[in-house]
Amino acid sequence: MHSVTAIVVAHDGARWLKETLAALPRQTRPLDRVVGVDNGSRDGSAKLLTEAFGSHNVLTMPRSTGFGEAVHEVLRRLPPAPGQEWVWLLHDDCAPDANALQALLWAAEQDPKAAILGPKLRDWLDRRVLLEMGVTVSRSGRRDTGLEPREYDQGQHDEIADVLSVSTAGMLIRRDVWDELSGLDTGLPLFRDDLDLCWRARAAGHRVLNVSDAVAWHAEASARRRRRIATSEEHPRRLDRRNGLFVLMANLPFGAFARSVVRNVFGSALRALLFLLAKQPANALDELAALGSVLGHPWRLLRARKARRNGRKQSWPAIRRKLTPPGAALRRLADMVQGFLAGTGPVDSAGRHHAAADTGEEDGDELLTDSGGVQRLLSSPGVVLCLILAAITLAAERTLLPDGLLGGGALVPVTGGAADLWRLYVEDHHAAGLGSGTWAPPYVAVLAGLSALALGKTWLVVGVLLLACVPLAGLSAYAATKRMIPYTPARVWLAATYALLPVTTGVVSGGRLGTAIVIVLLPVYAALAIRVMAGSSRAAWGFGLLLAVGTAFVPLVYVLVAILGGLAAVSFGGIRRGVRRSLAIGLGTPVVLLFPWLVQIAQEPGRILLESGLHDPRLSDPRLAAESLLMLSPGGPGVPPVWATAGLVAVALAALLLRRHQMVVAIGWGVMLFGLLVAIVVSRITVHVGGVIGEAAGGAVPVWPGVPLAFAATGLLVAAAHPAHRITEFRAARGLRRLGAMLIVVVAFATPLAAAGLWVARGADGPLRHDVTDPVPLLAAVESAPGEGTLLLRSRGGEVGYTLLPGRGPLIGESDLEPPGETRTRFGAAVAGLASGRGGEYARTLASFGVRFVSVPAPVDPALQRALDSEPALARRSLSEAGGLWRMSGQVKVPPPAAPASALHRGWLWAQGALLVLVLVLASPGARTTEPDGDFADASAEEGTRGRRRARDDKSRNDRGRDGKGRNDKGREETVPA
Amino acid sequence: MRRLIENRFGLLALVLIASGALFGVAFVSRPAPVAQVRPQAVRAPVESVTAVCPAPAGSRVSVITPPGAGGPGSATLSAIAAPDAKGTDAKDSGGKDPGEKDAVIDRPGLLWQREIASGGGPLMVDATGSMAAGLESAQTARETSGAQRGLAGVRCVEPGADTWFIGPGPAAAEMTLYLANPDSAPADITFMVYSGEGPVLSERGNGAVVKPGGHRVIRLRDLAPSPLIMALRVSTRSGRVAAAVKAVLGEGRGADWLPVAAAPATRVVVPGIPGTAGKRELYVAAPGERDTVVRIKAVLEDGSYALKNKETIEVPAGSTASLDLSTGIGGQPAALVLESDVPIVAGLKITGTGARQDVAFTAGADSIDLGSVVADAQATGGKQVSRLVLSAPFAPATVEVRLLPAKGEAPAPVEVKLAAAHTQEIRLTPRGSKDAFSVVVRPLPGSGQVYGGRVLDEATKDGQLVTAQPLAVGRIWALVPPAVDAPGVVLP
Repeated sequence: MHSVTAIVVAHDGARWLKETLAALPRQTRPLDRVVGVDNGSRDGSAKLLTEAFGSHNVLTMPRSTGFGEAVHEVLRRLPPAPGQEWVWLLHDDCAPDANALQALLWAAEQDPKAAILGPKLRDWLDRRVLLEMGVTVSRSGRRDTGLEPREYDQGQHDEIADVLSVSTAGMLIRRDVWDELSGLDTGLPLFRDDLDLCWRARAAGHRVLNVSDAVAWHAEASARRRRRIATSEEHPRRLDRRNGLFVLMANLPFGAFARSVVRNVFGSALRALLFLLAKQPANALDELAALGSVLGHPWRLLRARKARRNGRKQSWPAIRRKLTPPGAALRRLADMVQGFLAGTGPVDSAGRHHAAADTGEEDGDELLTDSGGVQRLLSSPGVVLCLILAAITLAAERTLLPDGLLGGGALVPVTGGAADLWRLYVEDHHAAGLGSGTWAPPYVAVLAGLSALALGKTWLVVGVLLLACVPLAGLSAYAATKRMIPYTPARVWLAATYALLPVTTGVVSGGRLGTAIVIVLLPVYAALAIRVMAGSSRAAWGFGLLLAVGTAFVPLVYVLVAILGGLAAVSFGGIRRGVRRSLAIGLGTPVVLLFPWLVQIAQEPGRILLESGLHDPRLSDPRLAAESLLMLSPGGPGVPPVWATAGLVAVALAALLLRRHQMVVAIGWGVMLFGLLVAIVVSRITVHVGGVIGEAAGGAVPVWPGVPLAFAATGLLVAAAHPAHRITEFRAARGLRRLGAMLIVVVAFATPLAAAGLWVARGADGPLRHDVTDPVPLLAAVESAPGEGTLLLRSRGGEVGYTLLPGRGPLIGESDLEPPGETRTRFGAAVAGLASGRGGEYARTLASFGVRFVSVPAPVDPALQRALDSEPALARRSLSEAGGLWRMSGQVKVPPPAAPASALHRGWLWAQGALLVLVLVLASPGARTTEPDGDFADASAEEGTRGRRRARDDKSRNDRGRDGKGRNDKGREETVPA
Repeated sequence: MRRLIENRFGLLALVLIASGALFGVAFVSRPAPVAQVRPQAVRAPVESVTAVCPAPAGSRVSVITPPGAGGPGSATLSAIAAPDAKGTDAKDSGGKDPGEKDAVIDRPGLLWQREIASGGGPLMVDATGSMAAGLESAQTARETSGAQRGLAGVRCVEPGADTWFIGPGPAAAEMTLYLANPDSAPADITFMVYSGEGPVLSERGNGAVVKPGGHRVIRLRDLAPSPLIMALRVSTRSGRVAAAVKAVLGEGRGADWLPVAAAPATRVVVPGIPGTAGKRELYVAAPGERDTVVRIKAVLEDGSYALKNKETIEVPAGSTASLDLSTGIGGQPAALVLESDVPIVAGLKITGTGARQDVAFTAGADSIDLGSVVADAQATGGKQVSRLVLSAPFAPATVEVRLLPAKGEAPAPVEVKLAAAHTQEIRLTPRGSKDAFSVVVRPLPGSGQVYGGRVLDEATKDGQLVTAQPLAVGRIWALVPPAVDAPGVVLP
C-alpha cells in the first residue's frame, strides 16, 4: 500500500503556483499528504500555499534556503507514514497532469527496484514541446537531455525508460531510499543535485525511471530568467559548470576519475579558447574557474568521493552505458562550429533546457542559405544576375583568354605564390631589385592571405578579383542592398547597373586590381554603414576591417569614407546612441591596422590619390571632359562612350520628383554630388611619382577618378532604386502615369543593357593582357646564380626605363619598394651610361650590383642594341623578334645578404597580427542578443543594490552571449541572500 | 527655404543647380593640352673605345683623338697575338713579336703614325678616358707593284655583332675576310652571302667561332666560290667580332678594303664619290624576302638628279645587283641616295684611270650628326691628293673642318657651307706642310644631315692609285638617354 506525500517548494513563483496548486487536487490518484514550503517569497506565494493546504501544512523558511534544504526540513519534521511511503517533489512552476501520479505509481509497482521516478517534462507555454525525459551527463560534466532543440512530443520517446537521472521537478522518490541516501546533497545548493542523488541511488542498487505516461509542464522559470537565480556570489553559469564537474568526479570510480581529470583539463582549455573566439570572455573565465574550483579543493572532492564509495565501482558498468557516448562531444563541437559560422553563436543545444528562441531572419542573404540546393540557388534573382553578368564578362573578355601571364596597365605580370608574397611582406630587408629597407605595403599581406586561401595560387586570386570584377560587383551590390531596397527588380537593376559602370569596365581594362577590390567592397561598406549608423559595434568592427582592406589598396577610399562618416556623425550622432562610438571604431580600425604605412603615405600626400600597382600616365586621361565626369565616366582605357550612363542619371533625376522617400533620394544625390566634386578635384591633379617612362615629362601621372566616381554612382543608384517600387503603383494606374512608368523602366534598363552591349562589342581591350611573357627570359632565369639579377631595359619616347629583377618576375607590391636614394642614383647613372654606349666602367658598376643579364624586350630599339653590342663586358646571347639578351662576362658581385632583422618591424608585424585577430574576433558573428528586454519586470523591487548590479551584469553578459552554457541549469528556483 | 525643399520641384532644382555648378567647375578647370616634351638625351664624351686594325702589317697605322675631352686617358696599341690559326684558311698569325712593345699614346689632338713591319696579326687600339673620345685609327698601305698594287686603306673598326659588306664576289676578286675578337667572350659568327643569284648556302658551313683574343682569316672563295658580286653579312650569335674584307682584283686591276656598309635600311646614302675620272659601279643588295626596285638619285655639285636611264635598279629578293654609273657620275664628286620599299644595302666601286688600274670602295654610311674623324687624311710624300667629299642631300648644312697635324700647331678650322641637295669636294692640303694630318668634320648646330667621304689618290706613271673611306660617325660623343627606374618596363 502506497502513501504519497507531495512537497511543493515555492519561492517568488506566484505566477505559476496557482496552476501548480490547482493540479494537485485533480490528481486521479489522490495525495495522502501535501506540504508547502515557502522560501521567503515576497510575491504572495505563501498566501497561495496557505489557501491551498491550510496554514498548518505550510512551512516558512528563510529566503536563503535552497530546494534540498527545504525538503530535508520538511521530511525531518514529517513523521513517517504507514506502508510504502513516497515523496513527490514539486517546484512551484511545475504543474503535473491529472494522472501523473497514478502513472508514476503504476510504474513503481511494475518495478520493485524502482526508487526514483520522474515524469515526462513538457514546456509550460508551448505545451507540446519536450523538455526532458530523463537526463544524463557526458564525461565532461555536461548535462544532456538527449533531445533535439524544440522537439515536439509526438510519443516518439514514449516508454518507461531506465535513465541515469530525472529532474527534481515532479520527482517521485521512496522515502526510505531518501533516508538511506540522506537525500539531496546540501553541499550542492544549486544545480546537479538531482543527478547526484539519482547516481547515488543507482549506486545503491536502485533504479531510476522516467515514466512517459506521467506528464508535467515545467516553466523552467529560473533557467529562462523569468525569475532571478542567484544563490551565491558566483555566477550561476560557473556554479553549474563546477557542480557538473564535481558530481561527475565524485561519483566516478577511480580509473574513470583519473581519465576524467585529464579530459576535462584539456576540454576546458579548448572550450575556453572557443569562447574567446566567440567573444565570450566571461564564459571562458567561468569555464576555467569552475575547473579550478573543483581541482583546487582536493579535500572537498576526496570527502565527497569517500561518502560515495559504496557500490560505486560495482554500479559503474551500468551507469557508463547511460552516459552520453563520447562521440557526442565531437558532434556537439561540430554543431558549435557550424553555428558559429552560421552566425548564431555556439549554440549548445543538448545542454539547453529549451530550444533556442526564434532569432528571426539571419543577416545572411538567402543566397547564403544554400540548404535548398541547386534549384533554390538558381531561382534566386541574385544568382541568376550573377550568372548573366559572368556570361557578359566572358564574352567581353574573350581577348583575355589565358595564354601567358596576366598583366598590363597597373598590374605587374602576376608571378609567385602566397609564400613569396608573404615573405615579401614580413622580410625586413628586400633583396629584390636594388635592395630596400622599406616595409612592404599592407595590401601585399591581403593578397598573400587570399592566395593562401586559394592554395597559394596568386594568379587565381588576382584573376578572379580582376577579371570577374563585374559579376562579383553585381553579386555584392545585390546582396548588400537587401535591407536598403526591398523591391527585387530594383535591386536587380541596381546590381546590374553598378556592375557595368564605366568605372568597372575601366578597371578591368586598366588592370587596376585595387579599384576592382574597392568596387566589390563598396556595396558592403554601404550595407555595413547602415548598421553602423544603427549603432552596431559588431558591424563597426567589420566595417573597419573591410575599410582597412580597401584603404590598403586605394588610400583615397578612406578619405571619402571619413568625410562621409564625419557628415553622418554630425547628422545622426545626436539621434541614436552608440553611433559615434561605432563610427569611431569603423574609422579608427583602419588607422590602427595600417598605421606605419599610413604615416608613409601621409608624408607624400600625392600617393593618397594613387592606388596599388604600377603608375602609368597612359591609364588616365589628363584632360577628362566635364561631361565625362558628370556621366560617371573616369576616362582611360575600357570606358564606354559618355552617353552610356545617361539613362541612370535621368532616372535618378526623375526620382527627385517623387514626394515620398525624399530623404533617401536626397542622401543619395548628396553622395553623388560629393563623389562628383571629389572626382573633379582629383582628376585635375597630376601626381609626380618616380618610375614612369615616356609620354609625360618628369613622371607626372594624372589621377584616375575611378573610386570617387564609384562612390557617386553608388549614391545615384540608391537614389534611383530606393523609390523604384512605386513603379508598380504607376503601372497599375492608367493613362499618362502608366506610360511614364514604362518610359522610366525602359530608360533605367537602357543603361546596363547599353553598357553590356558596348562592352561585349568592343571587348575588354586595353593594356591588360593575358599573354604577357615572363619578364625574365628563360635563359636568364636558368643561368642566373642565386642573388644575380637581370636588368630589364626598355626604350620609350627617348627615355630608357629600367628595372632590376632578381632572376624572377617582380611580385605584386615590389614596385612600391623604394631603394636607398644614393644607390638608385648610382645605378641609374650606370644604366644611362650603358644605354649610351659610351663605354667606360658602367658595365662593371652594374656587375657590382649583381647584374648578370641585360634583357631588352621587343621591340628592340636599334640604338640601344648598338650600345649594348658595343659594350665589351656584355656578350650577346640572343636577339630576335622576342627581344635581346646580353650576358655580363666576368665577375658579378652578388649583393650582400639581407641587413640584420629590425626589431621594430618584427614587433609591428606581431602587433598587427594580434590586432587583426582581435578585430576579426570582434567582427565575426558570435553570440547574438535576442533575449527580450524586461524579463526582470517581476524581480523584487526590494532587492539590494548588489542584486541590481548583478542584474545589470547578468543582462549585459546575457546581451553579449547566449551560448546556452549559462542556461545549463535545471530550472530550479533558488533564493539569493538579500 | 522650407517651402523650397518641400516643393516637389525644389529638390530637383537644387540638384540641377548643384550639378550645373559642378559641370562648370569641371569645364573651367579642364587643363589645356600640354605639348609633350620629348626628353633630351645628354651628350657625353665616349669613355672607352676598342678598335681593331685588321691587317696592319706593311701598312701605315694612324691613330688620332681630337682634342677637347679633359682628364687623364690613354690609348694602347697591342697586337692580338693569341694564335687562332686553324686549317688552311688561316694565315700564320705569327704571335706577338717579343721586341714589339705595346705603344701607349696619351696626348689627344696629336696624330700618331707608324709604319708597321710586315708580318703580324691584327692590331688592337684600346683607349680610355680623354683618349677615347673620338679615337679614330686607320691603316693605309701603298704598293706600287704586284697584285696588291694600289692604295688600300681601311678604318679600324670596333668589334660588333652585325657587319655588312658589299662589293665584288669571290669569282671576280680574291676576297679575304679578317676576323678578330678582342673581347673576353668567344664570338660565334655566322656568315651570309647574298650573290647576284640569291643567298648562297655554303656546303662547308657558314659559321666560325673566334676565341677571346683570337683572330682568323677566311678566304671567301671557300665559302662561296661563284658570285661575281656579293653582299656579305657577318653576324654573331653571341659575342662580338671585328670584321674586315679585302678585295684583290688581280694583277693590274687593283686592290682595296671594303668599307663597312650601313645596315639595311629603306634609304641609303652612298657618299664620298670623288670627282676623278674612272669607272663607277654601284652594288645594291636586298637581303629581305621581297624583290624591290631601288630609286637612284645622285647628289652632285650642282644639285640632285635622277640619272638618265639609270633611274632605278631592280634587285631580286635576297640577292645583289650592280649597275654601271660611270656615265652618270663619272668625273663629278657625288653622293648617291637610294630609296626602296624594303631595306637595302649599297656600295660603290671606284676605279682609277691608267694602264694599271686601282680600285677603291665606298659604301652606304650614316650621317655624321655628331661629327666624324678621319685618322689618315694625308699620305706623306709623293703626289698624293687628299679630298673630302661632303654632301647635304636633304637640307642645307654648315660643317666645320679641322686639320690635326702630327706636329706643330693645328691650323684654324674652316667652315664649309653646303646647300641642300648639293655635294662639295674639298682638297685637303695644309699650307706648306708635308706633315701627316687628320681631319675632324663637325656639322654645326642647325645643320641638316651631312654625309661624306675621304678619297686619297695618287697619280703614277702606270695609272692612278686610289683609296676611299666613307665618313663614319665619330666616336666622340655618345647620347646618354635619361634613365628612369620604372618597374613598368616589365610590361609591353
